[in-house]
Amino acid sequence: MNAGMGFKLSHLQAMLLFALLISIAFGFLSRRRPIERVKYIAWSLFLFLLFGVAIGWAMYPFSR
Amino acid sequence: MADETAATAATAAPPQDSRSETMAFVIGIAGWLVPGLGHALMKMWGRAATCFLTVGILVILGAGMRGNLFSSRGNDAFDALGYLADLGTGTFYLVARSLETNGADVSHAGGDYGTRFLATAGVLNLLAALHAYEAARGRKA
Repeated sequence: MNAGMGFKLSHLQAMLLFALLISIAFGFLSRRRPIERVKYIAWSLFLFLLFGVAIGWAMYPFSR
Repeated sequence: MADETAATAATAAPPQDSRSETMAFVIGIAGWLVPGLGHALMKMWGRAATCFLTVGILVILGAGMRGNLFSSRGNDAFDALGYLADLGTGTFYLVARSLETNGADVSHAGGDYGTRFLATAGVLNLLAALHAYEAARGRKA
């Protein structure tokens, strides 16, 4: 595998992947019981996406 | 008499404390060098696998998106901070180096995202190593 293969991700795909990976890591590190982990991951993922989209829209007026 | 007993207990305790402290330190360093190894040494398999996979995937994605992998020869403080963050991935820093044969390309958004992915992988691994260290000291479970 080398950089020549290159990953072409859209903004949304990059944000989704980033949010999902970080949420999973946070969930496993901060919670012990499986059900608590799932809840934490879902909540964290939701907040990541919510804030990502909200900040995106907040910057929209200044993008042109 | 009670003071003497307390003093004896205090002097007798340090060897074991220092041994467990050293062990915790070794676990922390191991967790930094190889993501997940610190937790694996404590038989926390789920956390070990998660750390290894999440840090590994972030590094592969970051390098694949041609993110900027900082080196020690930075020009300013931001480069130095980026280098510290990238170093957080431990041996995966070398993996990212070997994957980025064509070098970084931050002229497009993907490259810029890749830079963040690499830095995040490093900081996340440092957090995981610190968690393993604290767990080894009995402060976290």
